[in-house]
Amino acid sequence: MSGGPRGGGGPLLAWACLLLALGTMLAIWSEGSDSAALFLVGAVPLLLTSAWNRARPARGGPRLLARVSVPVVVIAIGAGLAAIGFTAGLWLGLIGGEIVLFGLVWLGREVALERRAVGR
Amino acid sequence: MAGGAPVIVDPERGAEERGAALERGVAWLAATDHKKTAAKVGVASLFFFLLSGLLALTMRAELAQPGLQFVSDHTYDELFTMHGSGMIYLFLTPAALGLGLYLVPLQVGAAEIAAPRLALFGFWLYLCGGIAMYSGFLTNNGAGSDTWTATIPLSNSSGTPGVGMDLWVIGVGLAVFGSLAIAVTILLTILRLRAPGMTMLRLPVFTWTMLATTFMVVASFPVLVVAMGLLLAERHLGGVFTGSTGSVVYQHLFWFYGHPVVYVMFFPFVGAVAESVATFSRKRFFGYRALIVSLLFFTALSMAVWGHHMFITGAVKNQYYSLTSTMLAVPAGIEYLDLIGTMVGGAIVFRAPMLFALGFITQFLIGGLTGIIVASPPLDYHVNGSYFVVAHFHYTLFAGSLFGLLAGFHYWWPKATGAMLRERLSKASFWVLVLGANLTFFPMFFLGYDGMPRRVADYEPKFGDLNLLSSIGAGVIALGILMVLVNMVISLRRRVPAGNDPWGAQTLEWWTSSPPPRDNFTSLPEITSYAPLLDRREREEEAAAGGGGRAAEVPA
Repeated sequence: MSGGPRGGGGPLLAWACLLLALGTMLAIWSEGSDSAALFLVGAVPLLLTSAWNRARPARGGPRLLARVSVPVVVIAIGAGLAAIGFTAGLWLGLIGGEIVLFGLVWLGREVALERRAVGR
Repeated sequence: MAGGAPVIVDPERGAEERGAALERGVAWLAATDHKKTAAKVGVASLFFFLLSGLLALTMRAELAQPGLQFVSDHTYDELFTMHGSGMIYLFLTPAALGLGLYLVPLQVGAAEIAAPRLALFGFWLYLCGGIAMYSGFLTNNGAGSDTWTATIPLSNSSGTPGVGMDLWVIGVGLAVFGSLAIAVTILLTILRLRAPGMTMLRLPVFTWTMLATTFMVVASFPVLVVAMGLLLAERHLGGVFTGSTGSVVYQHLFWFYGHPVVYVMFFPFVGAVAESVATFSRKRFFGYRALIVSLLFFTALSMAVWGHHMFITGAVKNQYYSLTSTMLAVPAGIEYLDLIGTMVGGAIVFRAPMLFALGFITQFLIGGLTGIIVASPPLDYHVNGSYFVVAHFHYTLFAGSLFGLLAGFHYWWPKATGAMLRERLSKASFWVLVLGANLTFFPMFFLGYDGMPRRVADYEPKFGDLNLLSSIGAGVIALGILMVLVNMVISLRRRVPAGNDPWGAQTLEWWTSSPPPRDNFTSLPEITSYAPLLDRREREEEAAAGGGGRAAEVPA
């Protein structure tokens, strides 16, 4: 395969425009209700994704992929503990933060190893 | 070749091969393969389903008779809060996305999911969130007890003090963020990893429903994550949702997520039902393009109806939300027409997935039609806060979505495990579940219409008979679920091999082995429509009849 799929952003763009139209309709009907702004919050990430997909189409071809990624699990558990630290206390937040940091370093090493393995 | 074939480079080389049980366990828990991540989501969501189901059984035991028998008012508050939260945040939403995580790469002919690490990260965040929510039961004041919506001011620190409610808020934030991460990987897979020939208008119906679902997730889930952050700040610092408008602002943020999520728990199962109906009607799906257009309109409209949950606040433009809510009937009608049109003239085979699909179509109709009643402000004023609403959403989410999920489960189980389920047991469980669902939820329409409020542990004696009927129905549902679980165990322990395509299906996942290999495909058929296997069979038949058709195949 010489490249990734073309297109695909069309439905995304159309859907985001539908959201904006519905938001505009609410804004006009309710004479500028703040809640209409929520439609913008919804549509903007989709418009950005559509634009990104158009600007940088998938390259296709082989991709790097680790079969197992323990650091990702470590980061997620650390993030969970850090979040629970909001109620359990700063100590748990700090432990969670450290685990996230440790996981990020480990992940960086894992990605570097992957790239080296492909380079060989 | 398959879209985006990955090179497997394994820094943890040999972990799976060393044979030690611990290492195999770690390798499974940290595996990046989308099928294994989806299996983890499936196992976790099944666990939370059973846990939340047990809470429902306890509630129905309490409600079988008027008066307080087993639990206190506060415990009852915890039970219905954790039942609703568990089913929505921890079961149906992740199960819907997990189904997509497993199937979308297979249906679009990809070797992997886009961003597999992000999907794995999403699963673990969701699991941490679920554990955090349920661990509230271990705290002094108990688990979250402010309904699955945690409405302000009930959920602020003076309304509901204690760590349990904090854990609920954090847990919901984590679980929803995890679901968002999984949805993003599905969206990117559809956009960027499709196999050659798999244009957008050749995507299978299930993949289209997943695409529409991910649009809603990306647009609405971040708002709830922010709302949970603000709610936590309100509980600890105060001053966030204050004054006369604080509660309304929170409700806007919550329901901007809260209504679309109902459709996130619906559309993937519409896709599963559509695939089952087409396969077991032995026909191409009817009205494919109309379905796609209606899906896009349906999902966009569903983002614009959240205010109907706030009719009684008097703080929203009722006419707008009533109009958009009623308009939902149009795309819903198109989808029903497509499903029925697929069956008309087909050679229908009543295998278990088809039965569950028909159960979904008929029972969801009751939920959908009663939705028109609550979409009308004058009628909603009457039934709001009553058991009528409970009946309505259980017909959509249990009698509808769960039956759709079970249609998909029975349809794709042979693909995922390589083993067939026992057909007679599947059919028996279907009928038991139909009986249980209707016995449980239909009396609630009458209870609600006659004025029985929801979320109460005790009620007037005049409601006793219908409540007893409902409680008996809950027991029948439990029996049906037990039969499904027994079927799974029998299927795995006494395996009847499924083969690649036991149903004579139409989409790409049935081309590969059951279960699929690590990279999904070793070859792919030519993709000329949304039903490539059906195309291939037709070409082969044409070739056999001397029509000069061909059956091309390309290496993956």
